[in-house]
Amino acid sequence: MINRLFGNYLVKAGKLSSTQLESAFEEQKKARVKLGLIAVSEKLMTPEQAKKVNRKQAMLDKRFGDIAVDMGYLTEEQVTRLLGLQGNPYLTFAQAISDLGFMSISEIEKALGDYQKENGFTLTDMEALKSGDSDRIVPLFMTPDADDLMIEHISIAVRTMIRLVDSDIYIGNATNLSTVKAFGYALQTLDGDTKASLGFTGIEDSLLEIANPFAGEEFTTVDADALDSVAEFINCVNGMFATKVASRVNIDMLPPQYKAEDVIFNANNICVLPIYIKGKKVNLLATFGEALEV
Amino acid sequence: MAKILIVDDSRTSRKILRNILEEAGNEVVAEGVDGADGVEKFKEFKPDITTLDITMPVMDGLEALKNIKAIDSNAKIIMITAAGQQNKMLDAIKHGASEFVTKPFEADAVIKLIEKLS
Repeated sequence: MINRLFGNYLVKAGKLSSTQLESAFEEQKKARVKLGLIAVSEKLMTPEQAKKVNRKQAMLDKRFGDIAVDMGYLTEEQVTRLLGLQGNPYLTFAQAISDLGFMSISEIEKALGDYQKENGFTLTDMEALKSGDSDRIVPLFMTPDADDLMIEHISIAVRTMIRLVDSDIYIGNATNLSTVKAFGYALQTLDGDTKASLGFTGIEDSLLEIANPFAGEEFTTVDADALDSVAEFINCVNGMFATKVASRVNIDMLPPQYKAEDVIFNANNICVLPIYIKGKKVNLLATFGEALEV
Repeated sequence: MAKILIVDDSRTSRKILRNILEEAGNEVVAEGVDGADGVEKFKEFKPDITTLDITMPVMDGLEALKNIKAIDSNAKIIMITAAGQQNKMLDAIKHGASEFVTKPFEADAVIKLIEKLS
């Protein structure tokens, strides 16, 4: 995510052109290898074991390394070593810009300092961004009054998007609103000890960027079928969230809702988090302690 | 090869499950779009195995399970759940569900269950 956020900053600040940025992303992709592949090439796991972990990962809200440890394929120490081999996402991005001759390492470091200042990030925040860990990144973009459980809920949604929708998504700053207007939505409410809702709205056809990869389809319009896919994605996220918080809060999922028409959402406090997928923007809507009313 | 009825309000889930089942040589005899529709389709098609999503509008999977078991106490039912529905899973076991599958679907696990029940 840091590559997209910092990359956009570099273009805005006139340090890189959009074309150079795209080339840097391509270069970085070549350098970044999946953990399973590294584990196999290091002969720590067989391809079949890596496949089993990947399958489990599609169902659980856990990282590849954690599942591999749980399944007895890797030790914690081995995972730490493999993560080191995989490379920090910031470093591989900075390396790509430098290798392509667009900026020197010192120019990149200076620009990163400017980016930090402009966004008011602390050194710890910057470490979180560089880590690529969505659990540490999402809180940086939430409003100060956001409920901890809501942040946890949204972190699971972002992490699941990275895993099942697009590994290159990035997020913007969340805002709190009491009314949101949109065309087309998918939404699910959780009810029990408390109420919470999670939904997505898009701009033009941007929700297809969730619907298509999740369902393995090629929908061309944001219709009921495409929104059904988005709703199923939300259902999976909410299932993981309900499981994770089960010892603290007992909540159950109501049937998902979706409609391909103009809608107005109302609640006392709707957290709206912009998420960018392949250059398109979708808005994640979340409430905690109340249901999002359509 | 088993004759299977899929009951799920989500078209996406029905389609993904249908693909997994048909690729393994099973026949999907019908689809139900909610619990009530599922019970009707069960009466009409008499499938070997029925998959029931738990969270559905009109009639949820648990109610549909009870209705189907009242029609045929030997009916083989696989409950489909999102993670986080442990309480409902326990309820479903009490009411005679044979097995569970968690979304998102893992093809191998689904096929193993079908083979076990066939």
